[in-house]
Amino acid sequence: MRNLKIVLIALFWGYTTLYAQNKQLLYDFTEIPQALMVNPGMQTTYQWYAGIPALSGISFQAGSSGITVHDIFADDGIDINDKIRDRAIFGMKITDELSGTYQIELLSGGFRAKYKPTDFYSFGIYHEGDAIAYWPKDLAILAYEGNADMLGRRFNLSHLKTRGEVLNVFHFGVNRQMNDKLTLGGRAKIYSGITDFNSTSNDGYFVTNPGQNNLLANTLVADMQLRTSGIEGIRDVLNDDTVDDVSGIRKILTKRGFFGGDLGLGFDLGFSYHLNEQTVFTGSLIDVGFIYHSGDTRNFTLKGNATIEGMEVILPEALADPDADFWQNLVDDVQDLVPFEEDSNGYITFRPTKLYSSIRYNFGKQVQSRADCNCSYKVSAKRSSTIQYTNSVGGQLYAINRPRGPQMALSAFYLRRLGNVMALKTTYTIDKFSQTNIGLGFSLQAGPVNLYAMADNLLAYNNIADSHYASFQLGLNIISWGKN
Amino acid sequence: MKNITKYIATVLLSIGLVSSCSERQDFDQYDDISVTPTIEGSVLYVESPESIINQIVGVNFFSQNFNFDAFSEDFIAERVLDGIVTYEVENTTSKELDITVEFLDDGGTVLDTETFAIDPAPTAILRRDIAYGGISGRSIDIIRNTSSIRVSAQNRGDNSSVSSLPDPKIILRSSAKLRIRLK
Repeated sequence: MRNLKIVLIALFWGYTTLYAQNKQLLYDFTEIPQALMVNPGMQTTYQWYAGIPALSGISFQAGSSGITVHDIFADDGIDINDKIRDRAIFGMKITDELSGTYQIELLSGGFRAKYKPTDFYSFGIYHEGDAIAYWPKDLAILAYEGNADMLGRRFNLSHLKTRGEVLNVFHFGVNRQMNDKLTLGGRAKIYSGITDFNSTSNDGYFVTNPGQNNLLANTLVADMQLRTSGIEGIRDVLNDDTVDDVSGIRKILTKRGFFGGDLGLGFDLGFSYHLNEQTVFTGSLIDVGFIYHSGDTRNFTLKGNATIEGMEVILPEALADPDADFWQNLVDDVQDLVPFEEDSNGYITFRPTKLYSSIRYNFGKQVQSRADCNCSYKVSAKRSSTIQYTNSVGGQLYAINRPRGPQMALSAFYLRRLGNVMALKTTYTIDKFSQTNIGLGFSLQAGPVNLYAMADNLLAYNNIADSHYASFQLGLNIISWGKN
Repeated sequence: MKNITKYIATVLLSIGLVSSCSERQDFDQYDDISVTPTIEGSVLYVESPESIINQIVGVNFFSQNFNFDAFSEDFIAERVLDGIVTYEVENTTSKELDITVEFLDDGGTVLDTETFAIDPAPTAILRRDIAYGGISGRSIDIIRNTSSIRVSAQNRGDNSSVSSLPDPKIILRSSAKLRIRLK
């Protein structure tokens, strides 16, 4: 029971604290190599870098546009059932989004081309989990209140909309300085899907009306689908007493994460363009791609429509078969009219594509770039891309493609460089989830060692349980501006 | 270097200041969560035209057991708290009729009986709510253990008269409204 309690609280926390994957602090933070992952066309000055395996890029983000743990579990003397009813069941909207993501870089590196120093190549492997669930309002009301005394009230099944996946991504990117003003970048990705679930195309309703013959008529019109991949294998291991659960699952996850599961292709694109010496316009499109799920798929559908008014016994027809089982006939009829079916067909999912864009104005003293000391690629040290200023200010736009359509965020940022050793960036972000999201991050360059850390929505940390959003990113790299 | 140290200290202090608080939460409230939806739907509809009643000689013109597993399904039987079964009897025949509804368990034991005596047409529709569970209702165990329903009908009139109303018949309608505990 205690385990169930923990799981339910964790799920509740998960449902209520998940968020989208905006990396506004990392974006265009040119001191950090991992910023290439959110804009492959970022201006780069490194000669090479190597991420510390499994430590070079760790990020976690979670948030909610609906309620918080504090809203429900605050020790405020209010009956928890009133709080659930008012703030969750009836308080949340179907557009309230519950989503989240984490990323761990397993391998990361980059180097400048020896014979074409305007090109910088980066590569790596990262592990990612991503999930989203919209608040299934009508289904929650139906489960909480039931259908009694709600004649004519349609419970909309399309409110159920959720998806999630866990995968490894293998990538290789090229970043090229086209000229003094423009830097372009692209990254090819191979996705190795580990697990996936999605139920995003549901439709239909459940309604109770006065019956034509009997007192009530329950009508179900359903067109629902749940598709899963990589879950059956795990379930088999858990059900197999001859196999150790941990080692069995690890074996499956490792196999599927390294090309033994679902495969997909994708790419990122990005650019940086100097409008003038101090103003830079950037943009990127991340994760344009798909995954084909096959091999360990299991799909469930519920499609059809049925109206029932209980068992109907109409004489004299009902006397024809004295052994008739009216109840079983009713059950069979419903199952025929609204069949619940399973199959193992393959399916395709598209990655949640992200769009970033920013405009940055640099001002203040010029900072001596580390690249100035070793411009082995014979490009003028005074070119715009290598000139850094102590201050940068600007705005960023973020959008992500989600099951209920694009979701956007707008950020203002200020970046301060302290010599070429440290840089601080702070952001203020506004979106449908929060209007008080202030983030802070730093990049510290101690010799060749680069350490960065950043956290979001800091104001909410004074009562973390009441936070709609929390995130952090950190990493450790070795960077060289010398020769390869 | 001194400046950098100062900035780092400021950043860490700022993060520390804002990250160290959380208002008191009481997760034991989880135990107090009560989720008890009330579901309702029709149960049984029986209809017999007057011509059938006239054809069958004797008082008992109809008696039949209907398998009915809805109440005894684990989901309902283990979670039902209380409920109301509603009956509606409509008689447009020329006869006085008695309708008896019995709830039986899977061994055939009668758990509950409800009888309706209804006058010949024209009569008002007879409607009756039977409560189960709670303080004043009949035992909720009746609902939990019901696996079949027996409906019997007795003709207290003759076998020849015909109602002047169009399409005369006796109709039994019923529905159930059950409150169940999910948590």
